[in-house]
Amino acid sequence: MARHKTLIATLVFLLAVIAYPILLPDSYHLGVGITAGAIAASTVGVVLLLGLAHQLAIGQAAFSMIGGYATALLTVQHGVDPFIAMVAGAVLTMVLAYAIAAPILKLRGFVLVMATLAVHLMLIAAASQVDFTGGPIGVTGVPKFAVFGLQVGSELGFYCAAWLFALIAVAIGLNIDRSRIGRALRAIAESETAAGSVGIDITRYKVQMFVIGAGMASVSGSLLVHYLRAMDPNVFGFSYSLNLVTGTIIGGLLSVWGGALGAVVIIGLRELLRDLAIPLWEAVIMGGLTVLVLIVFPRGLAGFIGDLFDRLGAAAGPRRQVQVSPDFSALTSMTDGAPNPGPLLEVAAASRSFGNLRAVNAVSFAVQPGSITALIGPNGAGKTTMFNLICGQLPLNGGQIRFAGRPIQALPPRDIAMLGIGRTFQNLQLFDNMTVLENVMCGRHRLTRTGILAITARLPGVRREERATTDAARACLRFVGLHGADAMRPSELAFGHQRLVEIARALALRPRLLLMDEPASGLNDSETEALAELILRIAALGTTVLLVEHDMRIVMGLADHVVVMDHGEKMTDGPVAQVRADPRVIGAYLGQEDAADAA
Amino acid sequence: MDLSLFLQLLLPGLTTGCVYALVALGYVLCANVSGVVNFAQGEFVMFGGVLASWLFLGGVPFWLAILLATLAGAALGALQEVVTLAPVRHRPQFIQITTTVGVAVVIRGITLIAFGKDPLSLPGFSGEGIFFVLDAVLPVQSLWVWGATAALLLATFFFLRRTETGRAVRACSINLQAARLMGVNAERLRIVVFAVSGATGALAGVIITPIVLSSWDAGIAYGLKGFLGAILGGFRSASAAVFGGLGIGLLEAFGAGYISSGWKDFIVYGVLLAYLLARGGVFLRGRIAQTGAGH
Repeated sequence: MARHKTLIATLVFLLAVIAYPILLPDSYHLGVGITAGAIAASTVGVVLLLGLAHQLAIGQAAFSMIGGYATALLTVQHGVDPFIAMVAGAVLTMVLAYAIAAPILKLRGFVLVMATLAVHLMLIAAASQVDFTGGPIGVTGVPKFAVFGLQVGSELGFYCAAWLFALIAVAIGLNIDRSRIGRALRAIAESETAAGSVGIDITRYKVQMFVIGAGMASVSGSLLVHYLRAMDPNVFGFSYSLNLVTGTIIGGLLSVWGGALGAVVIIGLRELLRDLAIPLWEAVIMGGLTVLVLIVFPRGLAGFIGDLFDRLGAAAGPRRQVQVSPDFSALTSMTDGAPNPGPLLEVAAASRSFGNLRAVNAVSFAVQPGSITALIGPNGAGKTTMFNLICGQLPLNGGQIRFAGRPIQALPPRDIAMLGIGRTFQNLQLFDNMTVLENVMCGRHRLTRTGILAITARLPGVRREERATTDAARACLRFVGLHGADAMRPSELAFGHQRLVEIARALALRPRLLLMDEPASGLNDSETEALAELILRIAALGTTVLLVEHDMRIVMGLADHVVVMDHGEKMTDGPVAQVRADPRVIGAYLGQEDAADAA
Repeated sequence: MDLSLFLQLLLPGLTTGCVYALVALGYVLCANVSGVVNFAQGEFVMFGGVLASWLFLGGVPFWLAILLATLAGAALGALQEVVTLAPVRHRPQFIQITTTVGVAVVIRGITLIAFGKDPLSLPGFSGEGIFFVLDAVLPVQSLWVWGATAALLLATFFFLRRTETGRAVRACSINLQAARLMGVNAERLRIVVFAVSGATGALAGVIITPIVLSSWDAGIAYGLKGFLGAILGGFRSASAAVFGGLGIGLLEAFGAGYISSGWKDFIVYGVLLAYLLARGGVFLRGRIAQTGAGH
């Protein structure tokens, strides 16, 4: 279905691009088409970072400026071939973007908006001050576009060239969107914590999209300058920047097609208003539509069209029911390395304070390989803090945590996941902007390798790896027993089923150690029973399990080893029978008087 | 150092700084009660200045024009909250912020259509006179700017400290959730605060217009520089935001005077960028992350 959709969208789009100059061959309309094509390269770039990863970097126009000036200066003053100038501009832009990307993309939300805007406005201010850009007047007399001396003199030729670049941008965008990096970006958009927990390198992918988007904006800038035949500091000004963002939102921020549509919206609206003789209304209508789209239909025009298409297709078959029936043969042993001698996880005198509160105070325990270990204790015992210390969510104040003999307390959550430590969340952190199957595929991230270059070109290896990832994710879903939910969104599922998706996602990491934070919370009795069975089966695969659990009853039938915490300290640990008989444990759970009675 | 040059930079710097301070105040107030940093904040200033000038040029009595522009700013703020932010309240931060970007674009567009492209001006509140501080020459309007800003700030702080509603705003800024549980009507409060920040923004635009003119595209500069002021002040306390705003005004003036007036914007935005890169991480943690003001 999804493949058909992409295919049909591609065909319709190509058809439209080809039909336009045939239907409207006059030079005015070709000019309009050229502008739209040139801008489309930019708006696709906007989708990559803003749309997929929800990073509010809105300084796209700054990169068009660099590309535009590179083209203008190189062609006019140095007589460089326009195509070479364009490539040189794009390379320069990408290098500069790379230089500022990592620090700037650490910022988020509104702070990121302001920082990217500041970069743009600084460039505008500088371009009108320095001499080599021609100051406020800029550069005039830019030649027509040419490739290696071959003049693209006719308007039709330039139209084809502009849309060729736009379509290349769309192709790159689509290839990224449906790859492991596309999933990683959506994961980042939904929850950086959960993205880190499956080993997604958040900064890396943000930087890559920033740089690729910069390259697209730069090419777009070069093309527009060839069309305008001049460049000055205000060609790609603040209004232009806002137009790119609002246009892309209206076109549909969440898909690459939305970016291309966004360019058509920007230019189409401008032309329409010119025809209606009310050109000044552009900003009001663009802004108004943006607000309206965000409130009513955040997926924009592209999402709207996609939904219409789905509705036509959905009439064919009835919706499948979600059923739970685990197939424990779906996964085979997870122990691929030689087992380490000694404990898999060692916590040595771990401490963490919040102000004066010692949430975890010099706690030590060990988790033996192949075991199911439970960390229990009453509310406020420090279990969750301990859990977060192990996952790298919180830094330690003192002590050490070792995994397979290696200290991990200084590692960020993402590196801990890369070592083969999977986790589930008490309050569920699923990626609701993806299907259930894609959620589980995200879990495979640490085991997949294809890089950004292979993905943009969609080399054969990418396809192969995607297929393997899909199969592995399906196997994990079969193992937890969730059938018929592959194409659904997590939020469409019942709570208990969502929990299974999360477990499947964690299993997709092929974890050596699985950390589960109160996995039974929110489940009913029969679901809890099924969960216990599932956990036993996971342990049977060779995965070591560490449970944090509040409810003692679940733990008792399941765990080999129990660690009891109270008031931030370890009270005791040992085999279940021993811990259960310990009067201090009974006291902590039932209150001192009852403990005295029991004794 | 040349004292008269110093004063000639310092005092006008304080004047524009007053506007940035009022914008910064608006940012912080709105962020505290709604968790949203309002991208349209600078547009209120632009709108107020342009509207008052247009009304006055159209024959509306001077003080009535100012009053109407201020009220229009209040209405615009309240309208933004009710029409555009309330519907996306429970959506991701990302959507809320982009919505305010859309609103900013609409305000720019409406101003352009309704009042035209040309910069507009107002006469000084008490004529076009000038006065001297040592050798520094200043328009008399500067006194109005300083006085009005001081009065507005006093009124705002009185509101925050002495009135029931103001205390509720402060409660929200400390802990939105807890304030709600204590029975603070957050919905109504947001409308009030957006109206107040719209009004102070518009009034800031009005008082500065006799000195710098106002046109439809001026909002972004006010917005960015006010934001810088707010963030220098830690984006938390209203008074720190005010000092941050004044500081930006001075930075801009001294940058223009001692370095180059052409590089003024470059310097201010450079400082903004450098500060965000150096300290931006701070705004992602702790309390600010909770209220969402840094997001």
